[in-house]
Amino acid sequence: MQEFDVIVIGSGPGGYVSAIRAAQLGFKTAIIEKYAAMGGTCLNVGCIPSKALLDSSEHYYNAVHHFEEHGIDIAKPKVNLKQMIARKSSVVEKMNGGISFLMKKNKISTFHGLGSFDSAKTVKVTKEDGSSETLSGKHIIIATGSKPTILPFIPVDKKRIITSTEALKMTEVPKHLIVIGAGVIGAELGSVYARLGSKVSFIEFADSMIPTMDKTMGKELQKSIAKLGAEFHLSHKVIGASVKGSEVTVKAENSKGESVEIKGDYCLVCIGRRPYTDGLNLAAAGLVADERGRIAVDEHTLQTSVSGIYAIGDVVRGAMLAHKAEEEGVFVAEVIAGQKPHINYNLIPGVVYTWPEVASVGRTEQELATAGIAYKEGSFPFKALGRAAASMDVDGLVKVLADAKTDEILGVHMIGARAADLIAEAVVAMEFRASAEDIARMSHAHPTYTEAMKEACLAATAKRALHS
Amino acid sequence: MAIEMKVPAVGESITEVTVATWNKKEGDHVKLDEVLCELESDKATFELPAEAEGILHIVASEGDVLPIGAVICSIEPVAGASIPAASVVAEAAPAAPVVQGDAIPAPVAVAAAPAINATVLEIKVPAVGESITEVTVSVWNKKSGDSVKLDEVICELESDKATFEFPAEASGVLEIIAESGSVVSIGGLLAKITVGAVAPLAAAPVATANEPVHSDAVRASATTYASGHPSPAAAKILDEKGIAANAVAGSGVGGRITKEDAQNAVPGAPVAATSVAAAVSNGPSDARGVRREKMSSLRKTVARRLVAVKNETAMLTTFNEVDMKPVMDLRSKYKDKFKEKHGVGLGFMSFFTKAICVALKEFPSVNAKIDGEEMIFHDYCDISIAVSAPKGLVVPVIRSAEHLSLAGIESEVVRLAVKARDNKLTLEEMSGGTFTITNGGVFGSMLSTPIINAPQVAILGMHNIVERAVVVDGQIVVRPIMYLALSYDHRIIDGKESVSFLVRVKQLLEDPARLLLDI
Repeated sequence: MQEFDVIVIGSGPGGYVSAIRAAQLGFKTAIIEKYAAMGGTCLNVGCIPSKALLDSSEHYYNAVHHFEEHGIDIAKPKVNLKQMIARKSSVVEKMNGGISFLMKKNKISTFHGLGSFDSAKTVKVTKEDGSSETLSGKHIIIATGSKPTILPFIPVDKKRIITSTEALKMTEVPKHLIVIGAGVIGAELGSVYARLGSKVSFIEFADSMIPTMDKTMGKELQKSIAKLGAEFHLSHKVIGASVKGSEVTVKAENSKGESVEIKGDYCLVCIGRRPYTDGLNLAAAGLVADERGRIAVDEHTLQTSVSGIYAIGDVVRGAMLAHKAEEEGVFVAEVIAGQKPHINYNLIPGVVYTWPEVASVGRTEQELATAGIAYKEGSFPFKALGRAAASMDVDGLVKVLADAKTDEILGVHMIGARAADLIAEAVVAMEFRASAEDIARMSHAHPTYTEAMKEACLAATAKRALHS
Repeated sequence: MAIEMKVPAVGESITEVTVATWNKKEGDHVKLDEVLCELESDKATFELPAEAEGILHIVASEGDVLPIGAVICSIEPVAGASIPAASVVAEAAPAAPVVQGDAIPAPVAVAAAPAINATVLEIKVPAVGESITEVTVSVWNKKSGDSVKLDEVICELESDKATFEFPAEASGVLEIIAESGSVVSIGGLLAKITVGAVAPLAAAPVATANEPVHSDAVRASATTYASGHPSPAAAKILDEKGIAANAVAGSGVGGRITKEDAQNAVPGAPVAATSVAAAVSNGPSDARGVRREKMSSLRKTVARRLVAVKNETAMLTTFNEVDMKPVMDLRSKYKDKFKEKHGVGLGFMSFFTKAICVALKEFPSVNAKIDGEEMIFHDYCDISIAVSAPKGLVVPVIRSAEHLSLAGIESEVVRLAVKARDNKLTLEEMSGGTFTITNGGVFGSMLSTPIINAPQVAILGMHNIVERAVVVDGQIVVRPIMYLALSYDHRIIDGKESVSFLVRVKQLLEDPARLLLDI
């Protein structure tokens, strides 16, 4: 039986980063991955492939709608979906190789197979050919991630009624794509096919898109996606779905209780994700998942109720985000080494990779109001920005919320071109508890999108934005 | 418009300064806060930073003596400078009077509490003892911005002799000027109290901040909502050292704790244990660290005095040995009764003190001091006892020990030792001894040469008691033996006196009945 200091189960962004950090700290480390490819959901069927398709579809959309205005005349472009998917796959493959390289470089032993607990100190790896071997570890990190949630009354057949995984390898562009759930994943994948020419209908239980983010963001995003020809059925409760040949029918109830029927050729179900611990045999380790499938962990160490076993990423509480899992991966490795790292969960940015992108960090207006915190708000629209005008990316705004007394920045919410990158400035500022005026007094290069952040901070400081 | 720079008020009793050296030349372009020149007062040398950016025009040359408030130089903003440069100057100007009004150190850019009409009381270091010129701020019990009540203890000050608690002189809101760890001379500014105000006083400016001037004032204020906020890296380091963020003075913008602050922070004794345990728990970590720590005032003084004594006296040591059997027999015979009657244990200290007092009477030069060209003889015996306290060596005094009974001496020793352990000894209790006893024996010392506790001229070193083979009446017997050492200043004590003194002490201890009979 091979013995390790640290065994990581799952090679997603949480797991593989945790393994690298553990190896850096001098631990003899093993990583177990169920699939042939390393990288987990994020790399194989999540962040990376969806971004590949988002960018391809964005290029196509621009070629059709904006090139002429830019003064580029081309023959009418056509979607080559096969090539788009092939390019996406090559990006993923290249990154798979990258992770394998990082494992080798850090002398981490990689085991492909299903990892399941044998005891609290041993993990059995069952390989595809049926053979198995058992590893023992002083410390075991569960990083098994999540899978799309499936509702019993929606028969997902993975052909017509699909999840995000299938949406990333379509063989045709849907004529009418029904998207159940207008959250982050629905918004991203819905906008991919809307750009490629599908009619897209969103059905959402809440009264806005991306309902967990600041209300202004949902409203602005809906405006932008509506421009792609999408339609919205908000405050609708899905009660069933059926497939007949190539036609999908989704039944829902609107806010008045009337039933609504929507027909399309594909239905994408994006109602959320559930922690994934299937086949892990938690019981053998003395662990139980909670009613939502999550593994309970100690706030200060991310250790489970069993000493020496830790859990990170989507299988534990908190936002299901790759970068949150990465932070926890590093955190746990350092905790095991006796260090005392920190994670500020309030400052993990949330991002939606639509175009315009949506990004936010800190508290929303609604949260501040509920908490009874007096705040000031300052917004700045991208359309007043020289760079946005020059690039014809004028949708969106930056909204800064600052403490009414101290001027400390409490939340930053932005929708606009490159918001996903711009949010980093807000995270840095807030980690150091900067005030809105602090940012307002820092030089921001001109002309850039970052000027919107500076202007919004000026607005939040004392309503003195310069260009609005 | 040129800005005139004047000699700042640098201390209470200082009326003039000398321009020592100019670091910049006439016509140089200087930046805000860049050091322009060095000024010397009769107490200290300090640097004068530029109050604005621009071209320097020197008014006072090197060697000039200037009264406080006199013009040293002027700084002219660069002509045709870009808008931001001009605005820097404009902002610097209103701040200037504040800077001038106070001592030089940087953090004094206090935004003179604009909106509040309350009086601001300056809290200064009080005179705490004759020879004490400066104190170290050991710990603040309150933070800037806290409300404090009259007589509430706001901080602990440490002189080279003692630690004492410092109460608020008024009720109001505290603003700390001298951070923990800083050394402040007597009369120096410790803090300010805005009398009558109630925290949080920050409410005033920003809430109504519709015009820039207000918010700028907030920016300049010494403490903010972010004071003491550690950066992500600093937070990790502090946690690993087991130091609470509020125990660290932040040097970053607005008092934020930077990574460097965290790296330099030294754990306080009580919290350290847990972090050490955690650090060694698992896995590889760096075990070969070094640590730099500032000497406390107490440590610096001890160091300076010890060297001075070595250099300035003619010190040498004489030894003898004492058979402790008689004292030990006496002690084991009566210790229970003694304890019952007097409520204090019967130790060796009382016997030694008593014996020494008798011997000092017989050899007065051992109980003397040198004062210039004169010798001072004492007809009383104030015996200093060296005690190892948490912050270092302290030497409390047993007054008129010659009049005390053995029980009286024992209870005095206990009282002083407890106070020493709790850092509660007063200056009074530590000054004026005429002779010192030090007992390295409690730590296992066999023999040592103690250093005189100046201005005294002799010190007796006690050591451990070890069973040794000795010859008594032609027979080898086992006896509990202690070596005694007497270090003395040969300038006024001759060998005959010192040796006889020690022999006398030996005699009295080996036959304690002599103490009773006075023979």
